[in-house]
Amino acid sequence: MVTLPLDVYRRLCNFLNIIKMDKNKHLDSVISTHQITKEETLFDKYVKKKNEVKEALEEKYRNNIYSPFNSGSYAKNTAINTKFDFDLVSPFKRNAFGSNGTLKEMYEDVYDFLYEKYREVAEVKKQKVSIGLEFYTDSDGDIIKIDVVPGRELSQDQYKENENLNLYVYYRYGNIDAGSERIKTNVKAQINNIKTRATAEKDSIRKIIRLLKVWKNTKHNYPTKSFFLELITMKAFDNKTITGGIWDKLEAVLEYIRDNVTKDGFTLKDPGNSSNNLADTLTSYEKQQLSNDMKNMLDRIKDNDENLKTYFPENSKFKKEETNNNQYGTNSGMPIPPAKLNFG
Amino acid sequence: MSQRVNEINAAIESIPDVEIVKPFEQGNIDIDGCLAVFVEGLEKPLAFNVTIHPQYPFKRHETETIKFSNDDLIEHKHIMQNGVICIHTAHSPILSQKLVYDIESVKAWIRKYYINKDSDSHYEHLIVPQKAFNGNHYVYFFNEVNYRFIKHEYGFVVYSIMNNGVFYKENIQSSIFQAFLNKDWKKIVEVDWNFQLKMLHKNIGLFIFLKEAPSKNQRWVFNDWKDFDILLPQDFLKFLHSVEKRHVKEKGKMLPLFVGYNISETEIYWQSIILEIGNFPIYGEKINKQWLTKIEEERTIDWAMTRNCSYKYFFGRGRLSDRITENKILIIGIGAVGSILAKTLVRCGCRKLGFIEYDVKEPENVCRSEYSFFSGITNKTNDLINELCLISPFFQPINGGYDYSEAFDFFIKSHLANTSIKAEMEKHLEDYDIIIDCSADNDLLYVLSQLKIKSTLLNLSITNHAKQLVCASEKNRYDFITSQFGGNILKFDVDDLHNPTGCWIPTFKASYNDINFLVQAAIKQINTKFEQEKTLRNFVIETDDTNCFNINIKEF
Repeated sequence: MVTLPLDVYRRLCNFLNIIKMDKNKHLDSVISTHQITKEETLFDKYVKKKNEVKEALEEKYRNNIYSPFNSGSYAKNTAINTKFDFDLVSPFKRNAFGSNGTLKEMYEDVYDFLYEKYREVAEVKKQKVSIGLEFYTDSDGDIIKIDVVPGRELSQDQYKENENLNLYVYYRYGNIDAGSERIKTNVKAQINNIKTRATAEKDSIRKIIRLLKVWKNTKHNYPTKSFFLELITMKAFDNKTITGGIWDKLEAVLEYIRDNVTKDGFTLKDPGNSSNNLADTLTSYEKQQLSNDMKNMLDRIKDNDENLKTYFPENSKFKKEETNNNQYGTNSGMPIPPAKLNFG
Repeated sequence: MSQRVNEINAAIESIPDVEIVKPFEQGNIDIDGCLAVFVEGLEKPLAFNVTIHPQYPFKRHETETIKFSNDDLIEHKHIMQNGVICIHTAHSPILSQKLVYDIESVKAWIRKYYINKDSDSHYEHLIVPQKAFNGNHYVYFFNEVNYRFIKHEYGFVVYSIMNNGVFYKENIQSSIFQAFLNKDWKKIVEVDWNFQLKMLHKNIGLFIFLKEAPSKNQRWVFNDWKDFDILLPQDFLKFLHSVEKRHVKEKGKMLPLFVGYNISETEIYWQSIILEIGNFPIYGEKINKQWLTKIEEERTIDWAMTRNCSYKYFFGRGRLSDRITENKILIIGIGAVGSILAKTLVRCGCRKLGFIEYDVKEPENVCRSEYSFFSGITNKTNDLINELCLISPFFQPINGGYDYSEAFDFFIKSHLANTSIKAEMEKHLEDYDIIIDCSADNDLLYVLSQLKIKSTLLNLSITNHAKQLVCASEKNRYDFITSQFGGNILKFDVDDLHNPTGCWIPTFKASYNDINFLVQAAIKQINTKFEQEKTLRNFVIETDDTNCFNINIKEF
């Protein structure tokens, strides 16, 4: 059995330790390896599937539905290529489920329809305010996930005027109880709000949102929604003077979340309806967990810069190409460490 | 009179509400006297004979070396059969101070059990004399069964001898209940234990369920057979007679009889009596032209010992969170870390465990893992299952043989690109609620990170000299582990690995103490998170022995 001799390995480690990691360079690489344009084929599959679902809904509900639209991160310019958020908002007319039809009936009807239509090719799940379609792995090994968000206009033809919708809360959503009849919101206003700022402040807000999404994607079923991270990032920029390199900005946002999210009276206004407080989408425990996670992250990165890579990994699929192009980081051309150093 | 006796008399005289009835005097070994204690609420002081042993004021084997007795108080709670009241008092090395404490305890006993007649919320088991039968003690372990006995139901108990041991200075035989059969030998209910216990040689005993405890005062078990006179139905006595007749050739052999009774609405306790074939305490008597079986009333009952070993008592002193113990767990890799983990889980109440390990146990593995020298060279999976069966009667190995381990490694690593086999593997693994990879196999770590499984997946590994332990619990576990051990984060010695004789991969150096300490700390962190229903994050346990030994758990 041949392994790299230990003395060579030690010299290599020492060498690597001398070169201090450049956090800004790493984070830039994280963002560039997560660019959505790098996954065009997969992205196209998502778009195609989204369109299929949209057409199916339009065909089923015909005159009772306005045009469904994508409200996910792509629409907001904050997407990353390891997790496409495709949320298909389906705006129903006021009387789509009868003049006395409830939002619950709307939610159940859409679920029943999607279940019948897709049950053989996808897992169809009831989620907090949406219905999740997780298509089984295709021949390329890809899994497409589309969340359908049913919403209903508040009164007949009002959607055409202001695009406000009522959503139904199926599962307990933070502090919002399951079965709540409605969350009134304007999804298009939400999209535009974030898109405008993310595009205008692309070197700060957009990058930080994308990094937070990369971080969230290192966790299983993190309770904090991407929308929450988008809003809290914007709020951090509004409330703190955030300048410097990308790491300085990220650090400032992480500190803001750590210090503020658990405070009494902390609010995150829904750009689609200022009377909605997005902070209510997390329970006190979930807010504490978010704050703790920020604290742990900051502490561990302070312990050792290298820990940054654990929280914000590059997309390894595109890493090689990147490092060759821009000679990023300390491991360009370096051999991978030898022999086992972890034991059981 | 010795100075010690004088000191005792003087100390007691100075205690308020206590009067010396008979001054303390030195006996052959002990110092004896009599005193009266008054407590508000009493009409007159209560007298106690007091014996003070030579060890006083120190305890002997956690029992007090001063005895306060009064035969007239025997019907009250917390009084032994010899009239001695049960007290447990504070420590003091000063005789006069200790006497104050002890007499204060006597006063507390008088208030609680004599004046107020309190009873304790927990059930007090009947006091059974621990007497040997023909020079041997017998103890029988029972478990709760899923069956409701009816009053006077009787039949056979199948039991197995587990071990012959030493009970202080005498021999003792420990056995377990295996099944209950009715009087026609038809199985009523099986008693659940681990598979190795179930394979033990079977013997036959008898049982009767009385419903009421065989006691006159709910404190002491019956002394003589006459106490059973009105409790044992004629049918059962005839059954005893028929059993004795059938085993006439085995005259002189012992046969246990188990007497069951309710100690709560749902809970049954079994006491055991040793019968001798050919000498059962019964005789036949013809009354009105009909033969009746009667009890030999003057015979003393030979009680043996029993223990309720059902899960809640067996693990009653402490176990892990239900979120761990009630789950089905797979441990991949049962070297030092994995075997310590497995043994801890089983000792802490886990039942359903599976193992994956292709390796064979060598003598040099014994010093820092949970294997024994005695079993020689054998597959680690087989050896660990045997070890764990010795510990917990509730351990149920799921999978874990050598063939299973080889098949697992082959399928999981060879078919990652095959979506249908991958899906099968995912389904198979999801059968476990918790999967803990202690193999330190980075290829497996990668492969597992590519699977989509809902089970809780943990990875535990340590550095050379067990300086750090890394636990990965999150989706990014592959990146986390590779970066922690990559050379730039955790600092550890890589010069000084242990090279076994032959062409083996170098292994780490660390003692059982080094490794066990880290593994226990990791289990503590995992259990705490589960118990508090908090999300378990990746964590690293770091130790530092620069000055005094320090431990630091860093959560990610």
